[in-house]
Amino acid sequence: MKHDKHLTLGIETSCDETAVSVVADGREVLSNIISSQISIHTEFGGVVPEIASRRHLENINDVIDAALSEADVTLEDIDLIGVTYGPGLVGALLIGVAAAKSLAYACDIPLIGVNHMHGHIAANYLEHPDLEPPFMALVVSGGHTNIVNVPDYNRCEKIGGTRDDAAGEAFDKVARVIGLGYPGGPKVDKAAREGNRDAIDFKRVYLEPGSYDFSFSGLKTQALNYLNTEKQAGREINVNDVAASFQEAVVEVIADKAVNAALEFGQKRIVLAGGVASNTRLRELISEKAAAHGIDVLRPSPILCTDNGAMIASAAYYAYRAGERSGYDLDAVPGLEF
Amino acid sequence: MNILALETTGRYGSAAVINDEGMVWCADSVNEMNHLTDIISISDKAISLAGITKKDLTHVAASVGPGSFTGIRIGVTTARTLGQALGIPCIGVSSLEAMAYRVLEDASRNNADIVVPIINARRHQTYAGSWNVIFAMDAGILSLTELHEEKQYMIEELLGQLKETGSVIYFTGDGIDAYESIIRETLPQGSYILAGEDLRYQHAGAVAERALKYARAGRTVAYDDLMPEYMRLAEAEMRLKEGTLSDKIRRTIK
Repeated sequence: MKHDKHLTLGIETSCDETAVSVVADGREVLSNIISSQISIHTEFGGVVPEIASRRHLENINDVIDAALSEADVTLEDIDLIGVTYGPGLVGALLIGVAAAKSLAYACDIPLIGVNHMHGHIAANYLEHPDLEPPFMALVVSGGHTNIVNVPDYNRCEKIGGTRDDAAGEAFDKVARVIGLGYPGGPKVDKAAREGNRDAIDFKRVYLEPGSYDFSFSGLKTQALNYLNTEKQAGREINVNDVAASFQEAVVEVIADKAVNAALEFGQKRIVLAGGVASNTRLRELISEKAAAHGIDVLRPSPILCTDNGAMIASAAYYAYRAGERSGYDLDAVPGLEF
Repeated sequence: MNILALETTGRYGSAAVINDEGMVWCADSVNEMNHLTDIISISDKAISLAGITKKDLTHVAASVGPGSFTGIRIGVTTARTLGQALGIPCIGVSSLEAMAYRVLEDASRNNADIVVPIINARRHQTYAGSWNVIFAMDAGILSLTELHEEKQYMIEELLGQLKETGSVIYFTGDGIDAYESIIRETLPQGSYILAGEDLRYQHAGAVAERALKYARAGRTVAYDDLMPEYMRLAEAEMRLKEGTLSDKIRRTIK
C-alpha cells in the first residue's frame, strides 16, 4: 500500500520476455519493465527454450528491482504478487514462479498464479479505465488464437480456438518460407503494407458452419506450393504480395468469427488481446466489420499487447478481489487450458 | 550466522539450515522431481526445525550445479530471490564438491585415496571431478584437494584417468546407477568403493556445510551475481558454435 493504493507486482516469463510491473488498484501502470530476448533468439531463427530459460534466470532479479524502482516503491509497499504459471515454456515459466513464490514467502505477501491468456485480456483494463465485463475477447498471439466470452472479471469462457497452428505460428512459418525471418508477425505486417492483398488467392478456412474454431496449418503449405509453382515457371516472386495476401486470408477469417461470436452472445464490445492484436490489418478489418453491427472494438496499445507483467498484475488483482489465493506449492503448467 | 542451503540439482530436493556451530537441520522433498512445488515448504520446514524465523537468516546458499538444468534453475532462482527479498547475500556451492564432502568420512573409513562424484549426463557422459583425501594427522582433520577438475567427462575417459593413479577410488553420485557395470569392467576389483544409497545423492546438508565454510572465508555474492553452473552449453548454442545449426534455421538468420 502506498498513497492508499493497492499495489500488485506482476511477473511474466512464459516465453522470451522477462517482464515485471507494478500496477496500482489493478488499473494504473506504475512501471512496466520488459527485457526482451528477441535479438538473442533471432540468431537461431526462433525461440530456443533452453536459452530462454537461462536468460530469464540471469535477468529476473534485476528486472524486479527495475520495476520497483521505476514505480518508486519498495517490496514492503507491495500488497500482492501475481505471476504467470502457464501456458508457456516450462523452463521459462518456472523462473517466474520460483521468483514470485520466494518474494511472497520472504515478505509475507499474498500470491496469485495467473493464466497468461487471462492476462492478455486484462491488458485491456489497463488501457481502458472504464472497461468492465461483459464483453467478447479475441486473443491472438504466437501460440494462441481464441475467441473468449468474458461475462465477469474472473470468468473466461473459450468458445473457439485453433485446431492446429495458432495465427502467430502461421505468420512465423510463412515469414520463414518467404525469407522475412523471425519474428514473423511484425515482419509480415510491414511487408503486407507494400503488397497487394488480392494478388494471390489464399484459401479462407471457416470449418463447419457456426464453428468458432480456426485452422491455419494449410496456409503454410499453400504458400510453399505457390512459391514452387512460380519458381518453376521462372516468375519473380513479390514477397510483399505474398505477405499481404496470406495475411488477408488469416485476418479475414478471424475478424468474421469474432464479430459473429459477439452477435450470437449479444456482446456490444469486442476486446482484442495478444501479440497479433497489434497487427495493423486485423485491427482495421475487425473494426470495419464490427462497426457495421454497432459493435465497439477495443484494444490495448502495442506495448500492452506483447507479453508484459502489467497485464498479469491486473488479472491477479481481480482474482485476489474475488478471494482467490495460490499456495507456495504453485507449479508451472506449460499446457494450462484457458 | 544462519545459512539456508538449497539442493535441487538431483532427483530429490532438500533444504537445510546451518548455524555458527555447524549444527544442521534438514527437510527433504518426499516425491522426486517436485522441486518447484516443494522448494518453499521444505525451506520453511528447515527454518522452523532450526528454531529461527526467515528474518534470522544471514545467507542463502544454493547448489548451483552441475545436475538437472531445471533443478539448477529452481534452486538458483529461489536462492537469488530470497536473498533479494531478505536483503542478505548468496553463496554458490558446486554440487560435485558438496557430494564429495558428503562422503569424505565414509571414504576415509574405507581407506580410499580419491573421492569421485559422478553425475549421470546420459549417453556415457558425466559431470564429474575428483579429489584426494587428505588426513592431517596432527590436527586429526580430514579434507579434500582437487585432483581432476570438475567438468564433463565421458565415463570411459574418466575411468581411464583414475585407473592410471593406481589409487583406491571412492565413487558417489547417480552416475553409479548408470555406469556401475562400466566401472566394474574397467577397474580392478578392490580398487574402488561405491557409496551406499544413503550417501550417494545430492543433499542440502552437505551444501550447507560447504556454505558455512565459504561464508567464513567471505566467499559470498550479491543475489544477482549468483550464477548457475550448467557445465554445458544449450544444444542450439553448441551447434551455432560448431556451425551445424540446421540450414533451414540458418537461412532465416540473414
